[in-house]
Amino acid sequence: MSVLDATSTRGRQRVGGPKPAPRRRAGERLLPYLLAAPAVCYLVAFQGIPFLQQVVLSFSDTSLLNPTSIDLIGLDNYRDVFADPGFLSAVRVTIVYVIACVFGTMLLGLGTALLMNRNFKGRGIARSLLIIPWAAPAVAVALIMAWIFNPQYGVANDALGGVGLAPTDGQWLDSTSRALGTILFITIWQLFPFTAVIILAALQAVPDELHEAAMLDGATWTQRFRAVTWPVIRPTISILALLMTIWSIRRFELIWLMTQGGPAGSTNTLVIDLYRRGFVERELGHAAAVGFVGVVISLAITVIFFVVTNRAEKSA
Amino acid sequence: MRHGLKYRMGLTGAVTVVLALVGLAVFPFYWMLITATRTDDELFGDRPPLLPDPSGLGTFADVFSDTTIVHWLTNSALIAAGTTALTMALAVPIAYAMSRFDFRGKVLVGIGLLVTQMLPEAVLVVPLLSVFKTLHLLDSRSGLVLGNTAFVLPVVTWILKNAIDTVPRDLDNAAKIDGCSPVSTLWRVIVPIVAPTMAAGSVIAFFHGWNEYIFAVSFLTDPGLQPMSVGLAGFIGEISTPVQTVMSVGMIYTLPAVALYLLMQRYIVSGMAAGSVKG
Repeated sequence: MSVLDATSTRGRQRVGGPKPAPRRRAGERLLPYLLAAPAVCYLVAFQGIPFLQQVVLSFSDTSLLNPTSIDLIGLDNYRDVFADPGFLSAVRVTIVYVIACVFGTMLLGLGTALLMNRNFKGRGIARSLLIIPWAAPAVAVALIMAWIFNPQYGVANDALGGVGLAPTDGQWLDSTSRALGTILFITIWQLFPFTAVIILAALQAVPDELHEAAMLDGATWTQRFRAVTWPVIRPTISILALLMTIWSIRRFELIWLMTQGGPAGSTNTLVIDLYRRGFVERELGHAAAVGFVGVVISLAITVIFFVVTNRAEKSA
Repeated sequence: MRHGLKYRMGLTGAVTVVLALVGLAVFPFYWMLITATRTDDELFGDRPPLLPDPSGLGTFADVFSDTTIVHWLTNSALIAAGTTALTMALAVPIAYAMSRFDFRGKVLVGIGLLVTQMLPEAVLVVPLLSVFKTLHLLDSRSGLVLGNTAFVLPVVTWILKNAIDTVPRDLDNAAKIDGCSPVSTLWRVIVPIVAPTMAAGSVIAFFHGWNEYIFAVSFLTDPGLQPMSVGLAGFIGEISTPVQTVMSVGMIYTLPAVALYLLMQRYIVSGMAAGSVKG
């Protein structure tokens, strides 16, 4: 019905209008391309082409001092990089950092969301305050955390010393054994409010009646969670886990400003490693190779993620 | 009333844990305020102060004369505003096309929008450096706007597309019958309905421009163009500037971002939640 209406309207317009119908239809066919083109061209220009350049760079011998001279040297950069224990340790650090971040933010976020998914006074205010770390700029977070974990004057040592938990040397970010843990704590502190608030939003979609019915049937909390809550929030959980993976692979400012990957490479993730190789050591080819390996790893994670979730959804 | 003692005890326990977590989330910012308003003697003593000192609030006024914060704030605001405007101008049309039209390569564009969200900025710093060098955009705020937009455009497009998906197509058809072209349908029908999500998208783009550090520190050499992120980062590990000044600058940098977020949180959460549900 509406299709007919639309055609007849168009027909009527044609009578008085200067444009013949076929041209107008051609215009309408072109319209989605015209709408999408600016953004697509933009992303091609500022992400696609630079990325391809980066790939070319990874097969070449180029320094930051002379970035336009490109000397192709095949796989040498990759061979150098894979033979470098610093790079292998960066891969290890990245894996530990990403896994700990994803589990930390997801579990803490889920726990917080479940606790907040009840009616109590001030819940709105609690939710607003909780999100502040996520809304705060990373550089400001690095600044305040460097101050809080300062070995001499930091309030972390004052507070933990009061209950006997402060390390004897007072070192956090300068200790090879504690730096990664401290960075992880700060990252999870900054990101768990986000997962909590998003999971909380998903929890509101769980029907109350189902919970009440399950309670009347005498289901325990765990049974109710598995049968009623989990199926509703699972899609949100899995996509959040992917988001946390991507975010933690990308995370730069916090680590760079607090430890620059040190001490002794203990917080040196791939992103930090490639930035230092490019901008401090000025080895653009090596940096590009590290970057490409990092991108391949994140792509692999994403593909595995989609395969696994698709399979899980099909079997469910 | 309806609930028994066990439920209420459980609720009290839950609220206590939530309060502790909220305290943990807020404490570092509270500590920033305390540090900004207290004297060295108080801060470096054995018993750290637990309350800010209202008489120390003058530090916040002093930083405007003691540091180049006015320049930093102006640069950050210009970069963030430019990033927002350019992102929205590009995102609205493509989100509309992705939601309402079938066209060749649509699936590819969708995949591209997901993949580009995964590229770390650090990977593209070097190639963008040479692109901007060729375009004479190093050492300019416009260059940073261009770089930032590339990294926030995909996520904003995705959020807007999801919002437009929820607008009933009957409205489009009605507009068409009234003689609206697809473009004026976008402006007159869809944009007003998804305005809250557009506002949320703008805030996300603004945040990105306001918070961005790696491009700014890598592409700018002129100190007069530095934004807050670079200015503030310069204080980390440096000891000649009083810690009160440093923390005041940090708070002034954090407040607009947090305030903007709190103002728009409902729409940001629903936009991000819808985006993350549908992926």
